[in-house]
Amino acid sequence: MRRNKGRRSPNWRMVWIAAALFAAGTLLVVASDNPRERIPSYVSWTPETIAAASAGDAFRGMLLARRCEHCHGAEGFSAVGATPNLAGMNRLAVWKELQDFRSLKRQSRVMEPIADSLSSRDLVDVVAYYAKLPVFEDPQDNRSFPQKRPDAARAGVASHLISFGDGERGIPPCQSCHGPVAYKTGVPSLANQNTEYVLSQLEAFANGSRANDINVQMRTISTLLSDEERHALAEYYGSGLGLEPGSSR
Amino acid sequence: MNWRKLRTFLLTVLVLCLIPATRYYQIDEPLIRFLKGPLAVDPLSLHLAGEFVESNLGTEQGPDGSVTVRMIAQQYLFVPHCILVPAGVPIHLRITSADAVHALNFIGTKYNVKVLPGTISEAQLQFPNAGEFKTACTEFCGAGHYAMRSKLKVVPREQFPVLRAEERGTCAAQ
Repeated sequence: MRRNKGRRSPNWRMVWIAAALFAAGTLLVVASDNPRERIPSYVSWTPETIAAASAGDAFRGMLLARRCEHCHGAEGFSAVGATPNLAGMNRLAVWKELQDFRSLKRQSRVMEPIADSLSSRDLVDVVAYYAKLPVFEDPQDNRSFPQKRPDAARAGVASHLISFGDGERGIPPCQSCHGPVAYKTGVPSLANQNTEYVLSQLEAFANGSRANDINVQMRTISTLLSDEERHALAEYYGSGLGLEPGSSR
Repeated sequence: MNWRKLRTFLLTVLVLCLIPATRYYQIDEPLIRFLKGPLAVDPLSLHLAGEFVESNLGTEQGPDGSVTVRMIAQQYLFVPHCILVPAGVPIHLRITSADAVHALNFIGTKYNVKVLPGTISEAQLQFPNAGEFKTACTEFCGAGHYAMRSKLKVVPREQFPVLRAEERGTCAAQ
């Protein structure tokens, strides 16, 4: 009886291997990227991600930031309006953009190779350094910020959108996420950002050439804004009006 | 009159009234969440995988003609911002929150859907006539709560287009 069974039974090791291969194949098919699913960014703000991205060493970041200062300025304020200012920027916001440059979720010919060449620890340290830089005026620094002030009517349009949004069209107030009233996780402050950069990003969100915002937030809002409003908002932030005590601060 | 019978009767009526009341006021929500087990969706990673990735949001027509609408409520937006649905057809709404508690109210209709992070709120909607409805968040969700509004466009059934993948989340389709 026993001998018979032994002769008849299949090679169990081969069966196990076949089963494992089948399971692995199924998992691969299931886990592989569904072409219909578009993922805007691989970053998700779990407590672990936030803890890891906030644990940077600002001093080490300062040494690494020598590579950044040619474009982003020695004090975190860039000389060219199209390049973003990084001084005092929320570290999670900058970290997310660097991650997105690395995973090609945000396109930039300049930033992609730079973000790629930095290690994960470098990213965390660099953003910790820029978050600590002050937002004071420095006449000796070669910076383009603040830029030309918009006229009163345009500033009024922007100020209204920043403080109240537009309930009729469903545009939330900028300050409820970008500060100073409230900050959502991983959202940059705009008060010391350049006009040209803010405008280019609003337009990029609106026409879809930048699409790394989680849950279609900025793409939706930029599409709702008119062209004139986009210009007004960019000029308001770029002229430093957002930093003034009486504005929306 | 038998006092004992009356008491039993009154107690039964009270309990029978309490059951719908607890459901209506959603007092039993924690219990239901406890019984249902872990969260149905992870509010922090809606965009990474699963039902609420951005290419899956909006109006979807099944092969049998049924209509499903998938939405995300987040501070301070409903995504997609404008939804296109046919009139007189039962619409299956599936909505979840990415952060706080929201409520999706279709102004001028009887529908008010509470949206909790981690759970998928489902509702059956039907709009008999074509028209445009505004929606608003009716649960205080933060600094921009009062501007959290979106639109719903109801078109006659015969005019409702076959939506392409990129048109699901907009009202642009003709």
